[in-house]
Amino acid sequence: MIHNLAEKVVLFFSWVTTLVLGLSVSIFLGYLLWKGFPSLGPKLIFGQADPLMAVLGRVRVFDGIFPAIAGTICLVGLSAGLALPVGVCSGIYLAEYAGPGMKKLLGILFDILAGIPSIVIGLFGFSLAVFLHRHFSSRVGPCLLISAVSLAVLVLPYIVRSTQRSLEELPAGIRKTALALGASKLQNIAYVLIPNALSGISSGVILAIGRCAEDTAVILLTGVVATAGIPSSLLSQYEALPFYIYYISNQYSSRAELSQGYGACLILLVICAVLFMLAYGMTKHLSYRTLYRA
Amino acid sequence: MMETKDKIIVKGVSFFYGRNQVLNNIHAKFAEHTITAITGPSGQGKSTLLGLFNCMWDEIPGARGSGEIRIRLGDEWVSPLKKDIPLPLLRRKVALIFQEPNPLPMSIARNMAFPLMLAGVRDKSIVAAKVQKALSQAFLWEEVKDRLEESALDLSGGQKQRLCIARALVLEPEVLLCDEPTSSLDARAAGIIEDLLVRLRSQCTLLVVSHYMDQVRRVADEVMTLQDQNLRRI
Amino acid sequence: MRASKETVAKGIFLFCAMASAVIIASILLFMVALGLPLFKGGAFFSVWTGAWAPHQGYYGIWPMIAGTLWIATLAMALCLPLSLGASFVITSLGGPRLRRMLNALVRFMTGIPTVIYGFVGIFLLVPLIREGFGGAGMCVLAAGIILAVLISPTMVLFFSDSLQSVDPANVQAAKALGADRVQRLLYVMLPKAFGGLASGFILALGRALGDTLIALMLAGNAVRAPHGLLEPARTLTAHIALVKAADFDSLEFRSIFACGIALYLFTTAATVAVRWIERERMMVP
Repeated sequence: MIHNLAEKVVLFFSWVTTLVLGLSVSIFLGYLLWKGFPSLGPKLIFGQADPLMAVLGRVRVFDGIFPAIAGTICLVGLSAGLALPVGVCSGIYLAEYAGPGMKKLLGILFDILAGIPSIVIGLFGFSLAVFLHRHFSSRVGPCLLISAVSLAVLVLPYIVRSTQRSLEELPAGIRKTALALGASKLQNIAYVLIPNALSGISSGVILAIGRCAEDTAVILLTGVVATAGIPSSLLSQYEALPFYIYYISNQYSSRAELSQGYGACLILLVICAVLFMLAYGMTKHLSYRTLYRA
Repeated sequence: MMETKDKIIVKGVSFFYGRNQVLNNIHAKFAEHTITAITGPSGQGKSTLLGLFNCMWDEIPGARGSGEIRIRLGDEWVSPLKKDIPLPLLRRKVALIFQEPNPLPMSIARNMAFPLMLAGVRDKSIVAAKVQKALSQAFLWEEVKDRLEESALDLSGGQKQRLCIARALVLEPEVLLCDEPTSSLDARAAGIIEDLLVRLRSQCTLLVVSHYMDQVRRVADEVMTLQDQNLRRI
Repeated sequence: MRASKETVAKGIFLFCAMASAVIIASILLFMVALGLPLFKGGAFFSVWTGAWAPHQGYYGIWPMIAGTLWIATLAMALCLPLSLGASFVITSLGGPRLRRMLNALVRFMTGIPTVIYGFVGIFLLVPLIREGFGGAGMCVLAAGIILAVLISPTMVLFFSDSLQSVDPANVQAAKALGADRVQRLLYVMLPKAFGGLASGFILALGRALGDTLIALMLAGNAVRAPHGLLEPARTLTAHIALVKAADFDSLEFRSIFACGIALYLFTTAATVAVRWIERERMMVP
């Protein structure tokens, strides 16, 4: 193999950078496991309270991360519940009904939304809360509902894009089959297209869920606090796992608390990593049948 | 009378994609400066067989071959299955023409110079000379000599295939593997390519996979057929 | 009967799409509306270029703009070579098993939450910097390094996608002509994938500009524009997160909307640039 200088440089450079990347990840994860593993266990989650009583809501957990986990779960459920229908319907509209001009316009808008920093979305949520506070009812302030709405806005592009893309990438044959048998457009969508596009759509949904679970910037501005117990109502403030981790990094007052922070990191890591791997697994399944697009 | 020496010897070769067996205990000998046509039903492994000689299967997961293949390059024998020669070197001496012409998205001149660049030949006058020689051998020089800087993608189908053959010839290969070289071309273009292949016999040893029996009759010295994982002379 | 179900359904779908569009537009609107008091009275230019000293009546967000640019630039400078090299290995230079492993590793990395990167950064990297270079440790360098590691996986995946979407017939042709892996990469795949690589770069830049937590946790949050890698800095994003505790009607508070507008405009420009590149690429046969 005669290699000129350029080729040799590229080879050397590629392997070195890959090594650096691989090493940094390994150090990162290793350190996290080393510090966090010892603190894993029921005490991390429930503190001094009895686990069963805590889960049933009878007893308040003060020094465990259970309220934060509960908060994150409620948050994710709520925002996904808001974003899913709107996102899937918008995606269907874009793929099946929109004309080229509309597609382009909405396409740009959704791309812009996808690029907006999460803190700006949080700012939007906050402004919304202020607006409602002044003009509707002074009971409304940054709270679970506002956070859920903001997170829904944050992840909307993921769901819209994956719905639109999975529908558009269905093979032409599938589209025509039901129509040729007399199905209406809506029936075609409901009975043939959506079921076939399901793996792509699901992967978008799972990605959205993961994003909601890990986000910190949005919730910082829209209602998350350090201690609030499990969420009591839509209009109340709440705790969340990512914020707990941030808070500990800033305000830890003992080695035990710091250790809990590491443990919380591990738990959050596992939740998010599982969700993301699931999403990619599903997309892979879909992409074997489709044209490759960057 | 000169003895025709063997160029390629195949002994007991079997080939698998994963658990799927494609070739079973193949034996064959190919004499130098001959054209051997390989025919047979579709999908039986003719392209796979060709690919054995220049190791094109090496990055397909699960592909493996057993047995012995020996090719005489210059005065030495090499064994592609054992990879005892660096693959880029092998492929410069054992060239492959694909069924679908695949000029690179560059000018004609750069397409032709590409293999030379890979092999480290940089002297511009040498490159120009070799390029002209190869294009002439492929009956293409007259047609493109005034448009060497234009994109190769603008050529007709037949011209593209001749370009691909010329591109393969620029490194002076000793074996030319042709995988259905004319099946994507019209009759007239195919005829030109057939003449070309016959002419090339004096420089190379050719293995041509073909579906067209009349083409085989026109072009080949020997005919073999690949059927049921086995190669037979007819 | 069926006809009206059709139109109702279409109406619902249209409504959702429109609602989304309205939300996107209103994000900018809200920020402009709420940030307006800050711009009144001819203070428009000094907001963008002035210093930040609220007690003296200066509400310029320039130090935050500078902080954002310093950290984002450092992160991109580190991230680009890392991602490029790793994507080269993943798409062509590595053996099949290595490629699969690296691919899985990189995908896993994209799932790691930002706050965890920040957390590990504080307790692992910052002390190292403190020991090695002195100072407080929380500075542009710390934030830049961790941000680079954060963005790299997404960039690697994007680059790999672009490289692999080059026409395989061309790659096969080069292979049959004797090109080995690095030659195929350099002479066939890279030239064709260039547009995709450029989009990936711009998208990653958008993320670097818009990240909040890394800068918030690692960059020190001082309100002066930084003049060196070891100085602390505050980004537009961190500023928004920090100032929210101030009195709502104060000008200090309104400054966060100015930050929001700046970020919105930066990232929108990046998005439009990427779409333009992609469109140009689709034109070329």
